[in-house]
Amino acid sequence: MNEKIEEEQKDIEKKEDDDNEFVIDFTTSSAIHRVSLKFLVVYIPIFWFSGLAVATFWYGYTISPVPWIIKLLFLPLILLGFSFLFIFSCFFFSKLLLIFINLIHEPKEGIFRTDKRDNDFEFWKIRTEIKKITLWLIRNWPLPWIDVIAFRWFSIKMDFTSHLNDAWCDAEFISFGKHVTVGQGAVVMSSMVVGNYLIIKKIRFDDYALVGGQSTIAPGTHFGEDTVLGAVSTTTLNQELEDGWIYSGIPARKLKLNKYAEMRRDIIHKVDVDKEEKIETEHEVNIDDDKKHLIKRKHGGDNK
Amino acid sequence: MSVPNSMRVGPFCASVLAKKKYMILYVFLIWITLLPSILEIWWYWQMLWNDIRPLHFYVFLPLFLFVIYVSTVFVAIFFTKILLVIISIFHKPREGVFLRDISDKDYRYWSLRNTLKKWPTWLAHKFPFPFLDNICFKVLGVKTKFSNSLFEGWVDTEFMEFGKNVVVGQGAIVQSSVIIGNFLIIRKTVIEENVRIGAHVIVMPGTHIGRNCILNTWSSTMVGQELEEGWIYNGGPAKKFKKNRFFEDIPIEKLTETIGDMDGLLKKYDEQREARGVTKKRLLHRKDKEEPTTEEKE
Repeated sequence: MNEKIEEEQKDIEKKEDDDNEFVIDFTTSSAIHRVSLKFLVVYIPIFWFSGLAVATFWYGYTISPVPWIIKLLFLPLILLGFSFLFIFSCFFFSKLLLIFINLIHEPKEGIFRTDKRDNDFEFWKIRTEIKKITLWLIRNWPLPWIDVIAFRWFSIKMDFTSHLNDAWCDAEFISFGKHVTVGQGAVVMSSMVVGNYLIIKKIRFDDYALVGGQSTIAPGTHFGEDTVLGAVSTTTLNQELEDGWIYSGIPARKLKLNKYAEMRRDIIHKVDVDKEEKIETEHEVNIDDDKKHLIKRKHGGDNK
Repeated sequence: MSVPNSMRVGPFCASVLAKKKYMILYVFLIWITLLPSILEIWWYWQMLWNDIRPLHFYVFLPLFLFVIYVSTVFVAIFFTKILLVIISIFHKPREGVFLRDISDKDYRYWSLRNTLKKWPTWLAHKFPFPFLDNICFKVLGVKTKFSNSLFEGWVDTEFMEFGKNVVVGQGAIVQSSVIIGNFLIIRKTVIEENVRIGAHVIVMPGTHIGRNCILNTWSSTMVGQELEEGWIYNGGPAKKFKKNRFFEDIPIEKLTETIGDMDGLLKKYDEQREARGVTKKRLLHRKDKEEPTTEEKE
């Protein structure tokens, strides 16, 4: 067996296929490298100003003429409020800085060199670092839903019907439809570092898209409606996932049509697996007449 | 960007507590690191507190808390380093395969070292500025450069060597020690410059990754695997996928090509998988129910 693998490896070594050399048919990662101390210049003002907002209210709390026993009673509530005040003022100041930085250099999609002379790369790093503070604060706070607010602050189209279940997600060039679910530990990258190049491409999720846990989503991926990507799978750069299909694997390939409750929400398809035999059964769902309009009819709409 | 908990991001240490008495040392370490910060607060209070005009006190308080946190991390690193030096006098850390048993001295000391390192690495990682992580790595004995970004993945803190410009992807695991069954394997992992490790990649102890390598997502290496320089690797165990020419000066227009031939790409991945011993039958949903051949069992 080993000889066969070695032969295979030698074949690949011999192959000199110029057309395929520069095609990015693999997925790597997105992380800022060349961490420099100049980011601290951004960090300190954000922390300081947000801290000042809290300190002002704290001063007001200490000098207020309320009896101390009532003060003590409300202390936990006030501390909770202060923590949110801190987070939200961090939002505010990072957003201010972002607006300022975007005025100097507008973020745009494309392929750039990871070079100190490349403005796009440098500003991408700064943007990422600034957003990191607020998102980090949120992610270390036991309220997972406010990251939707943060994403909206950073002008990403998203609403509360979508949810990032603890996934790593870039905070620019992403648009979410309605009812999008991203699984635990998934990595959604709209930027990717390949060799000496940085690729930024917009990721689009249409309505009811579902991403399985621990999958990696490369820049430029487009999720159609009702598309499901299985767990532990990867999409490649600019991959189009068609409407209503289940994809899985590395790289993602079509597995089967998605007909499990997503496509026709008044009928549930159930699959019973018994002794490696699959039995598909359909179950009608009792839905009140006044709620029928919530059902989405798609793909021919043959559910009369 | 954001740090999810489920990916166990950050430089963490393997959390085997061989002996419960190591906790005493751990708590002692936390206690002694927090003492200087209390002194700092006292000093700040003495300097700036004014009953009539507390303006200065409140204005500089946020900045001061920032300084306290950073200094606490440095103090934690300092005391951990001292304790590690003292421990290495009793028993020098070394590579090898050891028995995973309390009677084994190497196993015990490995556990003790990791228990001590947990506190400073945790502190440094709970700060959104990645610079502290790099300092922590450097002092605790990882050969690394400040240009590396190791904070998105899980990286071991001893017997590691990094070159320049290494990027460790989100949720990647780079280890130099691993527990397999009844054994603890410690081997030095060397990653040379310009290596890009993809998301969710698992790098096992003893791996040597050459310069300019790229690892595809979800690929993994074997213990002691050598990856040649200048290749893109894929799959588990990592095999050569194609020549890496992305470090060359190529015109950007060439890169913007999308993958037109999706079927061809899938075929390419399948061929590699077949070469690894996964037969087509397995890939195609096992339509024929045959017994797996001996090749598969291997």
